[in-house]
Amino acid sequence: MDFQFGEREIRLREEIRQFVRENLPQGQVPYFEEHDDEEWDFGMSIAKKLADKGWLTISWPKAYGGMGAPEWERAVFLEEVGYWGIPGYSMGVSGVTWVGPSLMLFGSEEQKKKYIPMIASGESDGVWCTGYSEPDAGSDFASLQTRAEKKKDHYLLNGQKVWISAGHRARWCWMAARTDPGAARKHDGISVLIVDMKSKGVTVRPIVNFYGFHLFNEIFFSDVEVPLENLVGIENNGWRHLMQALTFERGNKALVDYGESKRLFDELVHFAKESGDIRRPYIRQKLADVAVELETFKVLTYETVWKLTNGVRIIWEPSRDKASKDMLSDQISRIGTELIGAYSQVDPLYTDTKWSRLRGRAERLYYRWTGYASAAGTTDNQRNIIGQFGLQLPKAY
Amino acid sequence: MVDFGFTKDQEMIRKSVRQFLDKECPKDVVRALKTDKLGYDPKAWKKMVGLGFQGMAIPDQYDGMGGEYLELVVFMEEVGRNLMPSPFFATVALCALPIERFGSDAQRQAILPAIANGQIWTLAVMEASADYDPANIEMAATKEGEGYRLNGTKLFVPFAKAAEKFLVVARTKSGGPAQEGLSVFIVDAAQKGVAVEMIPTAARDQRYEVRFDNVEVPAANILGQVDRGYDIVSYILQDATVLKCAEMSGGAQAVLELTRRYARDRIQFGKPIGQLQAIQHRLANTFIWVEGLKNLVYEAAWHINAGDPRAELVSMAKVKANTVYQQACIDGITIHGAIGFTEEMDVGLYHLRTKAHEFDLGSSEFHRERIIREFEEQEPLFAKVYA
Repeated sequence: MDFQFGEREIRLREEIRQFVRENLPQGQVPYFEEHDDEEWDFGMSIAKKLADKGWLTISWPKAYGGMGAPEWERAVFLEEVGYWGIPGYSMGVSGVTWVGPSLMLFGSEEQKKKYIPMIASGESDGVWCTGYSEPDAGSDFASLQTRAEKKKDHYLLNGQKVWISAGHRARWCWMAARTDPGAARKHDGISVLIVDMKSKGVTVRPIVNFYGFHLFNEIFFSDVEVPLENLVGIENNGWRHLMQALTFERGNKALVDYGESKRLFDELVHFAKESGDIRRPYIRQKLADVAVELETFKVLTYETVWKLTNGVRIIWEPSRDKASKDMLSDQISRIGTELIGAYSQVDPLYTDTKWSRLRGRAERLYYRWTGYASAAGTTDNQRNIIGQFGLQLPKAY
Repeated sequence: MVDFGFTKDQEMIRKSVRQFLDKECPKDVVRALKTDKLGYDPKAWKKMVGLGFQGMAIPDQYDGMGGEYLELVVFMEEVGRNLMPSPFFATVALCALPIERFGSDAQRQAILPAIANGQIWTLAVMEASADYDPANIEMAATKEGEGYRLNGTKLFVPFAKAAEKFLVVARTKSGGPAQEGLSVFIVDAAQKGVAVEMIPTAARDQRYEVRFDNVEVPAANILGQVDRGYDIVSYILQDATVLKCAEMSGGAQAVLELTRRYARDRIQFGKPIGQLQAIQHRLANTFIWVEGLKNLVYEAAWHINAGDPRAELVSMAKVKANTVYQQACIDGITIHGAIGFTEEMDVGLYHLRTKAHEFDLGSSEFHRERIIREFEEQEPLFAKVYA
């Protein structure tokens, strides 16, 4: 047993902090980067710098433009990303986080050669979105109906996808479509496809969220021709590929979330000291409770990384960590906004009004987490997975 | 490098402890010991001596096995899982550890081998305020000639009837700051003026009121330095607290497991109740909390084992243990339904211990205060890096 990082990780942390000092303003807050052109462009400029450092795809093999760094270094990087709010680290999430790793696992050689370097370079051609959910296939995503009909030299794609984060920024779409509508089970007959967002017949329509931000979209596919070589993995075996990709998605986010929550906690303690609220026993107790859950979340995410590095097959662990994180976000954003008091009603879009506190950090999380909780499966979906695989109970849904 | 694994030796200890407990202490024994006068099984206690359990972390030169703190953590986790009633925690965690750390050579030579060979000890610290605030330790130790006279009452002292010896925290000097002027005395249970009275706790887990009426103690029986007893209490609040947390973690794991099994086996509406999302999601939450508790305890324990104890981690582990153990029991019983309310089901045995555990070595409120004190004293990282 050991709870200390090695020299390499400690050095990497220092280098990242140096980078942060040089490239980000002191009050950097986690962006809603897809919403705002200026923020998006700044994020992409950072992405390029991260790529130059080798950090953007730190754990990818050197041959694919990464550093071949062990999992622990990737973990340190993601944690620091969260703490310092480093924008651009995921370039709209999909590419860096699961498209690349999934392609390495089950993509063709041509796909690996073509797409992976684009992602690793930090250029805008490496920006991806992901098309999973549909109007009638949300949590029950195996019910998806978008049809990819196999023709002689292409799939003919028709259908509609929703909740597509960064759909308006992406060059490529990583998506799931039904290739065999006659399959006996709905989980069979699904395939993973890569769609060029510049293809004829692709329409992106913004969805504005409840606090006025444009983060995600609807995408309509109307007779879109997708070359056959854009099939990823085995035809009709998409469900299994997707479950793997979702594990990457849940796993990666947890470390960023830890860093971000830790930053908010540090900010809240600092704020309470400055304001004098730290003397209130109620606030002291509440903040201490947050500290407990934060540390708990940290050890859980670390344990998952440790399992990964030891070749343990990861099944329910990312679900455990994700549900845990949702509960932590709820807790810390409630206490945070309560500490800030009436000022927490200021629109988090504005970080620097004279009424803004902590540059809107607490209320940003407060409004955001409930929405982000649905990404990669709602909190209750995670509980289903934990029930089925962690607790070995019969499938409940 | 961060590593959550146990060594082969530690895993072997876990296995042998688990086998021992399963064999020596099935739940009918736990139930039977409730009405036993001493509350533990002396035959099993002897066998534990034979296996080297009491001396597990006592150095070789004192007849111990010379093991590490982490081995005690493994042991307590298994005890918590099994619920074995015994004076192990009182003897080893509350007394042997501080004696090893603070005792004089003579004290260590006299006491540690005795403990390794089965002598029972306990700690008397809590008073009427029922907390660990040093300001509330009022029991007087009055200097008289070469020795002291103890007068006062201690509460919730575990296994006081079975114990041959006590460590007693008393005030040798008053008027100064609360942490100063406390001393820890070694007192023979058979001494004149010592009276024990069992408190009828819900679990009948052997908690006593111990009254000291003009008990004479020679100065040589002070553990550590006179007036510096709070150092010892602080140490106990660190090393023993995490062992208590390990015990609670083991208990919470056991409650989750037996509730899971019940939910899987109990059929209603033609299917296992564990298939109903209302039940499964509650179990999933308990699973998340128990996993968190388990690993948080390991983290706090590892730092102690490495000689780098972290006060905030110790207190976090205790707050988490207090919350999770209780929640697991309440959910456990309510998921069982009416049968969970009966004597036959094991879940209630755990639930009966929740309150004792919660206040042993500090309530959640007490530990939250310690946590926030650690953080408010630190300069935040974001300020340091941009400084």
